Amino acid sequence: MVSKSSFSQFSKQSKKGIIIIYLDILYKIIKALWVLVFVFIQNFSKTLDNNLSYIYFYLGFFFIFLLLIAFLKYHYFQFKIENNYFILKKGIIKKTNTSIPFDRIQNINFKQNIIQQIINVYEVNIETAGSSKAEISIKALSYEQANALKKTITINDKCNNYIWELDDDNKPNTINNPEIFVEQKPLLKISVMQLLKVSLTENHLKSLLLLLAILFGFYQQITELFNGFGEGELLDNYISENTTNFETNIVLIFILGLLFILVSVISSFVRVFLRHFNLTVYIKNNALEIYQGLTTKKSFILKKEKVQHITVSDNPIKRQLGISFITFKQALSGNVKKKQDKIIKLVGCGQDQVLAIKNLLFSNEKFENFTKNYSSYYFKVRLYLRSIIFLIIINSVLYFIFKYNFVFWINILLLPIFIISIELTFKKRFYLFTNDTLLIGSGTIETHKTYLPFYKVQNVKLKQTFFQSTQNIIDIVFQTASGKIVIPCIREDEAFKIYNYTLFMVENNKYSWM
Amino acid sequence: MLDSFQNIVVSSFPNILEVEFKYINRKYLKVILINITFVYLSLLAAVFFLEYKNILGLEEVTFWLFLFITILFIYTIFIKIIGFKRRKFLVREKDISYKKGVFYKKITTVPFNRIQHVEIDQGPISRFFNLASLSVFTAGDSSDDLKVNGLLKDEAQQIKEYISNQIDG
Repeated sequence: MVSKSSFSQFSKQSKKGIIIIYLDILYKIIKALWVLVFVFIQNFSKTLDNNLSYIYFYLGFFFIFLLLIAFLKYHYFQFKIENNYFILKKGIIKKTNTSIPFDRIQNINFKQNIIQQIINVYEVNIETAGSSKAEISIKALSYEQANALKKTITINDKCNNYIWELDDDNKPNTINNPEIFVEQKPLLKISVMQLLKVSLTENHLKSLLLLLAILFGFYQQITELFNGFGEGELLDNYISENTTNFETNIVLIFILGLLFILVSVISSFVRVFLRHFNLTVYIKNNALEIYQGLTTKKSFILKKEKVQHITVSDNPIKRQLGISFITFKQALSGNVKKKQDKIIKLVGCGQDQVLAIKNLLFSNEKFENFTKNYSSYYFKVRLYLRSIIFLIIINSVLYFIFKYNFVFWINILLLPIFIISIELTFKKRFYLFTNDTLLIGSGTIETHKTYLPFYKVQNVKLKQTFFQSTQNIIDIVFQTASGKIVIPCIREDEAFKIYNYTLFMVENNKYSWM
Repeated sequence: MLDSFQNIVVSSFPNILEVEFKYINRKYLKVILINITFVYLSLLAAVFFLEYKNILGLEEVTFWLFLFITILFIYTIFIKIIGFKRRKFLVREKDISYKKGVFYKKITTVPFNRIQHVEIDQGPISRFFNLASLSVFTAGDSSDDLKVNGLLKDEAQQIKEYISNQIDG
């Protein structure tokens, strides 16, 4: 198996890859032009019969042309391994040659969407912490090829001397490699019932916002199209007509509110099930192996040293059920758009699992023994000042829209929400640190605890406004390879101590930060 | 219960806030002033043009627009002159720091062993005064790393070489 694909020569993807590439091209075209396609289908009946055959002809030609492109893309997509470098050449007209040294490779992930599952090929993503150009996605490899590739790269990677395999059900394969894989109970296995609990206790507001963002994207695409046809006013009139109706009808607003809640619950439900279905986690050789997904199955190996910081979160309901979720942040590449892919979330962890993961990453540090340090009172003042400004803006905007004193009643609703969230935010902000690791608490309704080892910090900042300096209060900002972490408004002398200590820890540590 | 600050047992490590920072080159103030003046003049020209062509129908407010831009100009110059004395940098054995700000103070330190690459660049006006700026980049979202403006070209080159040696060594 390995000898067949040792990758010393340039090799191509699985032949089935042509189908995947073809569908990928089609998908991209439809995604970009779906509105046009829609209009085209709508006007289809109006076209004359003698034009119809032309249209069929061009369409057929177009699809065959795309097939040709897919074949060429497949043909020119070749990769090999040489001297601990992964080398890829691709491109039909514009040829690119990429080579990545193994020690820059952060992760090798397997992924299968529905089509890839049907024709039984694996998508292999090679992640690096370098520039976004160095992110490689091989769309279709047979199971043997995918495993062999992964094996070759992981064997040669010096900090990573273990092997793993997958069989068709995405479970570790014990048959091919009995001496290497030790039969082991998974650290975490989420059943459908547990997933149900998780999804019901999600932050539904966030799901709703995500959904609205998607809908807003659609709306923009439609308006662009209508504007292109010079019918933008028509759409605006239609919408404003309907909104004036809304204003007068409180019952409708109420129903709409209920509908929103329902939609947001359903959307978080769908989101959680699609992404985290059958979540299984193993701890092996200082790494976490994670399998999950319903339509798109994914598997990753999360190496201990690649994790920059983790956040353990829960909310009041989740706490009652004894579950929390852990977010792992890895080093980001320059491409911010792909941020989401590098954030790995484990939902539905119980106390034991959280403890096990903490032990794995921070080797039995006793965070509980330390008293929490809180942000200064000034932090609360700042939050209040900001919300007052925000409230004034909301009020004046509403007043200018409706020109009616009645709108100020909204403050009765808003004020308690603001006050409660500020008090909670203030109460949940704390920090403490052990020898090696900083622990920062935050959150409003949810509670987040972020664990950051000092040596993962890339640079440190202190920031102080004029008002803060009169109180001897300062913000400290830790820049890591996966984003900023702030401790707001703490005493100057404490901040200076932490600043110096962090620099000392970073400059004298013997570990690599990734 | 323990106090987190008890973890800081090493008392001998260097305290960055006790070290004297270095000022950047005085000539850089001229560069800043020339740059601001240039922006101011182009704004003025834009307003003049708008008024002359009467594109937006701004006749009544033109005076206020001029006044606003001028006040903004004077204010910016004032802040920059005061703030210039606060722009300081420091290169230590293992890190580089930069601080600035009058009403909003900021200090950043980047340890050498986290630096991915170092860059020197020169704007047209800086080149005339033989000045350069030194930027260091770390991993991740690098937009918010450290940049020291207004170093002499040679000095910037020296620091760059020093840092490069430290990274490789």
